[in-house]
Amino acid sequence: MSAPATSPAGDLTTDPVDPRPFIEGTQTDQTINDTLLHHVFRGAGKGWWACFAVALAMLGCLVVALTVTLVKGIGAWGNNIPVGWAFDIINFVWWIGIGHAGTLISAILLLFQQKWRTSINRFAEAMTLFAVMCALLFPLIHTGRPWFAAYWLLPYPSVQGIWPQFKSPLVWDVFAVSTYFTISLLFWFLGLIPDLAALRDSATSKVKRTIYGMLAMGWRGSGRHWAEYKWAYLLLAGLSTPLVLSVHTIVSFDFATSVMPGWHTTIFPPYFVAGAIFSGFAMVMTWMIPARQFLGLKHVVTMRHLENMNKVMLATGMMVSYGYIMEHFIAWYSGNQYEFAQFFEVRQKGPLAPIYWLMIFCNVVTPQIFWFKRMRTSLAVMWVASILINVGMWCERFVIVVISLHRDFLPASWGSYAPTWVDICLFTGTIGLFSTLFLLFLKFVPAVAVTEVKELRHETEHDAHIEASLTAGVTGGSH
Amino acid sequence: MSAGADHGHGSDFVPRRFVLAQFGTSDALLEGTRRIREKGHKKIDTHSPYPIHGLEEALGLGRPKIPAIVLMGAIAGVCAAYSMMYYMNVVDFPINVANRPGHSMPAFIPITFELAVLLGGSSSFFGLLIGLLGFPEPYHPLFELDSFKKAAIDGFFLSIEVPQGGNQDGVIADARQVGALNVEAVEESER
Repeated sequence: MSAPATSPAGDLTTDPVDPRPFIEGTQTDQTINDTLLHHVFRGAGKGWWACFAVALAMLGCLVVALTVTLVKGIGAWGNNIPVGWAFDIINFVWWIGIGHAGTLISAILLLFQQKWRTSINRFAEAMTLFAVMCALLFPLIHTGRPWFAAYWLLPYPSVQGIWPQFKSPLVWDVFAVSTYFTISLLFWFLGLIPDLAALRDSATSKVKRTIYGMLAMGWRGSGRHWAEYKWAYLLLAGLSTPLVLSVHTIVSFDFATSVMPGWHTTIFPPYFVAGAIFSGFAMVMTWMIPARQFLGLKHVVTMRHLENMNKVMLATGMMVSYGYIMEHFIAWYSGNQYEFAQFFEVRQKGPLAPIYWLMIFCNVVTPQIFWFKRMRTSLAVMWVASILINVGMWCERFVIVVISLHRDFLPASWGSYAPTWVDICLFTGTIGLFSTLFLLFLKFVPAVAVTEVKELRHETEHDAHIEASLTAGVTGGSH
Repeated sequence: MSAGADHGHGSDFVPRRFVLAQFGTSDALLEGTRRIREKGHKKIDTHSPYPIHGLEEALGLGRPKIPAIVLMGAIAGVCAAYSMMYYMNVVDFPINVANRPGHSMPAFIPITFELAVLLGGSSSFFGLLIGLLGFPEPYHPLFELDSFKKAAIDGFFLSIEVPQGGNQDGVIADARQVGALNVEAVEESER
């Protein structure tokens, strides 16, 4: 603790819990500015173009599948009674869950003053936006005629004089998801404004200066502006925090308010929210590990950040596992034979049981490796684990939606389900849409919140100076 | 650059004049701001790449206005949502499902909450940028100075608007006195 005035940018900080710094190496505002904006100004490399080509090819699948869906109708999909919801709702819930990690990192960790959020929030917020776009696509097209959807979903004074039924969770969903997208976009852009100003003033070409200048809207780092800005940002974070919890709660109400065995469960809201954060962190990890390598962000996205994210995945994975246990316990404890059959017969031994067991493996077993520090700090292990978790979370939604529906109360109404090529193309296509948007984001916008990293560096330096001057018993000190 | 009244040729345009003072560190900027305010300069502002702790006190700012704007937005959202649902499902077109009441408070809570967040959050964004900051503001006289580019990157600046008919050289001298490393003056250009 009383080490001589360690430079804040030195190797270790004086934090007694974990002395590793959040920003590695000797940095100044200028070096942070240069290193974090570098990837925006340099030309796109071969690697970027290769990834972009793959993403565009997958996006092509989306165009084909959407065209088929709109021309032929949703009969082109594999779902039919009794499995009336399938890939559309699975993918909707999966994507929107992925988005939730962005809001958790940017808003909840901000309110909890977790400094490690600073290096990853921009990245995760962008992921939120793109994931919610992919998610929104599915409920829209599953109406069959999306050009009429506005009449059905929104309170629009149509000539029929009929209004939405506000006691239906499906209508709550419309408001929840559209609010979530709007607020995430505003929050993301508000955080981006000072960085856009930095881009404007670092740009060397007139075109870039003009474009970033227009987007920065005239930001000049004014103290009077900062005073209000900080509050506006904090208030948006404060509003986003209950919002993100409400969104997945309402998504879970789509299921929980029905009487379907396997859906009619009070644990759904917290269990959905935990699962959402679990899968969202996994998706951040899947992208962050290659991105920090290729964009040169290792000094701000350190092993300590990755390790923290792994710990969050372990914690949320345990919450999800607890949700599974409680579902099974209540199915047994309630004495309801349909619930019992759903959880102990259909899921575990039925025709689609392999997906259930894959879910258990990916979501319950996989995160347990993060108890070990060696695993938490191995890039290869965490990258593979993050992909497995995303697979597992997709399987979870498959289990909830399809496995519940294909075996309900009456054996005479049992059925089976298999996706068509259109279903698979649509799903692949949204991965393509997400990847395309994300690669464009990585090309044109700083992937790390430059301003916030500078502020963090400044605060760390300031604290170190105060500590140094206290231990040395002298006042003042120059930077 | 003359300090006298130079009002152009018949036009109403009176250019605003600014003095921009650069400081080496954030602490020097805070100290300089405090001292320049003590010298009686009113229209002062600081420019830094990130918010600096203690800036509000140094600039002598009051309480932020944004929380009240957001609160009003959120309350408007609550009222709009609840009255919308009440009108549509109770007054205008009640749908009787198994004789359940048309007015059902628990079922109206989620959308009430969502619209409160939507309007509260939007008023935070638009209230800040358009209402309080007056954005988009593509031109500001300070942008004419090349050195001002550092304000978004790593520079700490104090800007003082010279009052109409005021003595610019006096302001420059004051800025030097409070510890500025580099002082420049700029005049608004007519557009």
